[in-house]
Amino acid sequence: MLEVDQVDVRFGGLLALHDTTLSATAGRVTGLIGPNGAGKTTLFNVITGLQTPTRGKVAIDGRDVTKLKPHQRSRQRVGRTFQRLEVFGALTARENILVGAEIRNGWDSTSEDPRMVADEILERVGLRDVADRPVDAMPTGMARLVELGRALAIRPKLLLLDEPGSGLDPDETDVLGDLLLDLARDGMAILLVEHDVELVMRICEHLYVLDFGKLIADGTPAQVQADGAVQAAYLGLDVPV
Amino acid sequence: MTSFLAYSVIGIATGCIYALTASGLVVTYTTSGIFNFAHGAIGMLLAFTYWQLTVQEHWPQWLGLVVVLGVIGPLLGALIQRVLMRRLYGSSVSTTLVITLGLLLTCIGVATVLWDPGEPRSMPEFFADHRVRVASIYVSYHQLTMMSVAVLVAVFLRLFLFRTRIGTAMRAVVDDPELTALNGAAPDRVAMVSWALGASLAGLAGILLAPLVSLDIILLTLLVINGYAAAMVGRLKSLPLTFVGGLALGLAEAHTIGNLPSNVLNIVKPALPIIFLYVVLLILPQARLRVGRIVTTHRAPRVATLRESLWAGAAFVVAAGILAQVLSPVDLFTVGQGVVFALIMLSLVLLTGYGGQVSLAQMTFVGIGAFGMGKFFGGNSFLGFLAAAALAGLAGALAALPAIRLQGLYLALSTLAFAQGMSALFFKNHNVFGYGGRLAVGRPSILGVSFHGDKAFFMLVCVTFALAGIGVLALRRGPFGRRVVAMRESPAACATLGLNITFTKLALFTMSSAMAGVAGAFYGGLRGQVGLNDFEMLQSLVLLLLVSVAGINTVSGALMGGLTFGLFPKIQRALPGIPSLSFLGAGVGAIALGRNPNGWTSEVGPNLEKVRNAFGSRAAGAAPDVDVEAVPSNA
Repeated sequence: MLEVDQVDVRFGGLLALHDTTLSATAGRVTGLIGPNGAGKTTLFNVITGLQTPTRGKVAIDGRDVTKLKPHQRSRQRVGRTFQRLEVFGALTARENILVGAEIRNGWDSTSEDPRMVADEILERVGLRDVADRPVDAMPTGMARLVELGRALAIRPKLLLLDEPGSGLDPDETDVLGDLLLDLARDGMAILLVEHDVELVMRICEHLYVLDFGKLIADGTPAQVQADGAVQAAYLGLDVPV
Repeated sequence: MTSFLAYSVIGIATGCIYALTASGLVVTYTTSGIFNFAHGAIGMLLAFTYWQLTVQEHWPQWLGLVVVLGVIGPLLGALIQRVLMRRLYGSSVSTTLVITLGLLLTCIGVATVLWDPGEPRSMPEFFADHRVRVASIYVSYHQLTMMSVAVLVAVFLRLFLFRTRIGTAMRAVVDDPELTALNGAAPDRVAMVSWALGASLAGLAGILLAPLVSLDIILLTLLVINGYAAAMVGRLKSLPLTFVGGLALGLAEAHTIGNLPSNVLNIVKPALPIIFLYVVLLILPQARLRVGRIVTTHRAPRVATLRESLWAGAAFVVAAGILAQVLSPVDLFTVGQGVVFALIMLSLVLLTGYGGQVSLAQMTFVGIGAFGMGKFFGGNSFLGFLAAAALAGLAGALAALPAIRLQGLYLALSTLAFAQGMSALFFKNHNVFGYGGRLAVGRPSILGVSFHGDKAFFMLVCVTFALAGIGVLALRRGPFGRRVVAMRESPAACATLGLNITFTKLALFTMSSAMAGVAGAFYGGLRGQVGLNDFEMLQSLVLLLLVSVAGINTVSGALMGGLTFGLFPKIQRALPGIPSLSFLGAGVGAIALGRNPNGWTSEVGPNLEKVRNAFGSRAAGAAPDVDVEAVPSNA
């Protein structure tokens, strides 16, 4: 569903991403982990077109989208959330999702009623009871769910989630995990950036590990967990690689 | 060859001044993130102070320079940073615009109080009457002074920014204020130094520029604005490029003046820097969509429901009907004009209040609307409203086009350039308003009903406002309104939903300017005629500031702002000692209240509710006062 091919991103003298190649497959949750500043969000920005890579290609659903503008890429059915919230704070949760569905109606040939879409998604992400509250009055965890709902409103095939679990308590995190597994089961490709190791281990089938802009490992959660380089990057342990 | 050389010298000298003023702008922008629209006005104030000291009080020039540029300028800059700008860190572009524009108008207002604008003044050149022959041409000492000062300032800035501690900290703040603070520099102190420096540079430019033109408050303020184009060349970041931009602007201007036939020149000349700015904006590469939310401290007021807005609209029309019966013709005109202004401000509620985009050319669109009404379909036809909307809408799209792909600040600058350009090329053109400079605008008949009488036309204006208010609120509640608010809150998120932001912004701009155009048709109809000075850019600023102060995201805010604007001429007559009262009023108001986008009308609603509860009943019946009746529509 998603192919990132040999991407470099350079900010002045800093190489934020170096020769990054990864893919995400439909029907499963792919994890992307790494310490703060490793380049995870930069990679998301490259995939969604908010950041132009210095080198490399991005393909979605087999189509090279490297030259497309952000809104054109989203129209390939790519939804995302943001690590630093980008909710429409002046609007209610329902309106946030509604806007997404309405915008989609502008570029997609669909007969879905945006209001029905909003109701369905509010139910699915568990926001029905707070649907008519303005989002800037909500706690962070809840606002993250609004962003998730909004991303779902364009019926994405590829969903990029940037730390959706931060700000949630353990119970809410469990519910989120189930929801993501559900979405994957419906055929969605999900790329998940998350610090909650437990959540990542539970729902991801494949993991990539970024450190200082470089992929240092990838494999099943169990393989990655056993990887010496990963332990070194995460824990600062001096483990021979 | 000789004339080529001569024009080059003039161009380089003027270009140096543009570079000076622009470098001051860049220094403050990079360190505080605030584009100081009052930069030119500060330069004007300091130039006048210098004139006062050296010409009026006969101080020696050197002492005047030391006191103005070494003491007063830095103190003024530091004071502005301390009192106003410090609190703006992280604010939205529209908020910082409102505050700095408020400062601009305040400076003009203060200057007109101190120095009677009616009195002609001139500033002597430095080393007057001295000149030197270079090759085949003469170069005045003043021109040499301009050039060497620019070179000295460039060298000084380079050394200051790269060799001193505070200068290095200033460059670091540009990259990352938070990180710099962690490393022990105080961003606040750095910003204060940069504002002090910026003010002095503005003053220096003003003092050098004033002898070349007359010492006129508005002229000098706006001339320094020309430096904006130079700053754009450096993308508000690079000082060397800014200097290049200044020189390029000066040279382009001088050679155009040298080579154009004089009949074309008279029209084009005042617009040259503006055209330059336009071209630079067109060439600028597209800015990346930025992520990272602006912290908003004021929650937008609840949007009125259809039912509420219908009731409020009806009450407003009833109140207007009563006013039409009881007011004297003069007062009726005052209130009517206020409602027309409110209609114009409503177009800003849509654009700025909902969409977060800023237009500094709204009065230009009003003028184009009045032109459309007066020139087409006989000057008094109902179809004239359509012409007004179409022409103004087109103009709005044109004004926004060069910068529509860029961020909000550039868009505002583009409209500023458009307003200035239109003022020079269109409104002052004899073919537009005729040789008397006045264009008659008629009042229409609609479906056989004549609105030629004052009372009938007043009612037409009020009904239109009520309908427009209901319409704008309906728009806000609908898909387009949601989309526009979403775009204001996070353009990046909108893009990830597949929204074409450029197109949406353009649509919003077109809609808002078309609305201002229709208001222009009413503006002309109410007054019977319009003049070429009715649509100056500064009037657009007053308009924007007054609606910002009253509440730019509510219909009631627009109404209050409009009525305030309408009342200014009346207050002005009562206070003849303060010329340009509207500048001072709007400026000081914006500085004091401009940080709350909801405006003071948002405070009225809840307080009114308290009063009502205290009296134990919902105040009913036809209120004679428009003001109070309209507030609940949105508060």
